[in-house]
Amino acid sequence: MLINQLSVFIENKKGHLSKITKVLKDASVDIRAISVFDSAEFGILRMVVDKPDEGVAALKNAGHVVKQSFVLAVEPSDKVGSFHDVFNVLFENDLNIEYVYSFVMPNNTGAPLIILKVDDQEKAIDVLTKSGIIVIPKEEIYNPS
Amino acid sequence: MKIWSDQETLSREEIQKLQFERLSKTLTHVYENVPHYQNKFKAAGIKPKDIRCLEDLRLLPFTTKEDLRETYPFGLFAKPKNEIVRYHASSGTTGKPTVVGYTKNDMKVWTELIARIVTMGGVTNADTAQISFGFGLFTGAFGLQQGLEEVGAGVIPMSSGNTQKQIMIMQDFQTTALIATPSYALHLAEAAAEMGIDPRKDLFLKYGLFGGEGSTEEMRAKLNEAWGIFSTENYGMSELIGPGVSGECRALKGMHICEDHFIAEIIDPETLEVLPAGSTGELVITPITKEALPLIRYRTKDITRIDYTPCDCGRTSARMAKITGRTDDMLIIGGVNVFPSQIEGVLLGIKGIGSNYQIRVLKKGYLDRIEIDVEISDHNLLDSVTFLDRLYKEIETKLHTILGIHAGIHLVDPKSLARSEGKAKRVIDLRSENL
Repeated sequence: MLINQLSVFIENKKGHLSKITKVLKDASVDIRAISVFDSAEFGILRMVVDKPDEGVAALKNAGHVVKQSFVLAVEPSDKVGSFHDVFNVLFENDLNIEYVYSFVMPNNTGAPLIILKVDDQEKAIDVLTKSGIIVIPKEEIYNPS
Repeated sequence: MKIWSDQETLSREEIQKLQFERLSKTLTHVYENVPHYQNKFKAAGIKPKDIRCLEDLRLLPFTTKEDLRETYPFGLFAKPKNEIVRYHASSGTTGKPTVVGYTKNDMKVWTELIARIVTMGGVTNADTAQISFGFGLFTGAFGLQQGLEEVGAGVIPMSSGNTQKQIMIMQDFQTTALIATPSYALHLAEAAAEMGIDPRKDLFLKYGLFGGEGSTEEMRAKLNEAWGIFSTENYGMSELIGPGVSGECRALKGMHICEDHFIAEIIDPETLEVLPAGSTGELVITPITKEALPLIRYRTKDITRIDYTPCDCGRTSARMAKITGRTDDMLIIGGVNVFPSQIEGVLLGIKGIGSNYQIRVLKKGYLDRIEIDVEISDHNLLDSVTFLDRLYKEIETKLHTILGIHAGIHLVDPKSLARSEGKAKRVIDLRSENL
């Protein structure tokens, strides 16, 4: 159920993001979700892409620091309080969320999907599934129907 | 204009006679009391009595910062600890500082030399002098304080930093002489203007005594213009005594070397041969009255030339020109000596970053600023911004501990810094471009 995520170091410099997206474009890697975590001096770009291994190889080749790690994607239902349901389940099970970002898939009609990095990912999948929250398998993200 | 001491107007013959007497005494003193020198002299096959005239000085081995480093902290001291009354230190080429010490008599000499130099700059007992050098291990602030008090000036030991308060005190105490690095003095003038104070009208400054870093005539013109002052420059280094080695008089024809206490030579830094009078080369200084730390032929690594003709001011002492460069890679950042090797030593000891780095020195306003690009190498740092933050702070803190100044750190992609074939260009000094 876990999804490959690419984390790339970004210098606090004009044009650095486009340098990274150019590398992925040239390697025909499609970005599904993207988010930037930054401080005053530097940042980390986190992405979910359709071909993670190709993406990592291309970025490394181009001289970037890249790390692959695993995250969860969940699909909250389109109603008031549905995000709260997700976070509350994790909280009640003593799970700590390291970061969150959201994105929309082309075939997605309801609420945006959310990417989660939780300190214990396996346990998170388990408790979320048991609470009836949809955890999206990676195939669906890489190759949407 | 007043001349502080009659020693400043001795004839060339008198100076040379005095220099030789004092050199002979100093050589015996180091040979008998400093094993490191005894070994150096033996290795060179020379004894103090072999030095029969001033010209024989060139037969003696040189001393460098390396000698001080090898014998850290007190190995070159020629007096026991119970006779040392003051310690100072400056940054060394590696982690350990260069330590210097003074006996009671050294302190008396030092005070006398600064008194001469502040007198050259125009300061008298009618003046109120604000010392905006940092008080601490560096010699600048304490040295000037002693000499200024000796001439009877009122000293404000302001130290550096706290710019707004500097201006307030300057106005309220009616400071007439400013003691600072030239770059800090320019920064202060700018800060005063920002506070709505016109340094020329609202303040009382008459003199600027600048040192701790080199400067140019352009900088002097700017300082004089900004403050409405007459500024002079003085020269020294902690290894030799601190400030007090030489200073400009109001004729502004070079810095008068206190020749009754220091013998100056100019050498070719490549061949190490003494160059004829008037040549440009590396300044080598032998202090000849110091008790605690008498160094023989100390290589300053500063490039200058010496003029032996008498000056318009009446002093007969030789004058050295403004320092035009260094024979090593030492940087002077706001008066603080920084060696790229110190920075390298810190960076190589930190995990998660590569071995390539680049140092940029620039002016932020009038202040020197050092920025260092560091390549990150460990992809595990990307798990959390906190990891990167921690790395950033680690680099910053460790550099501050070693250098004593803040450096701006930029984390950059691996291999993004220019690789050069052969000797890497680690340092880019952009300061002259935006003066």
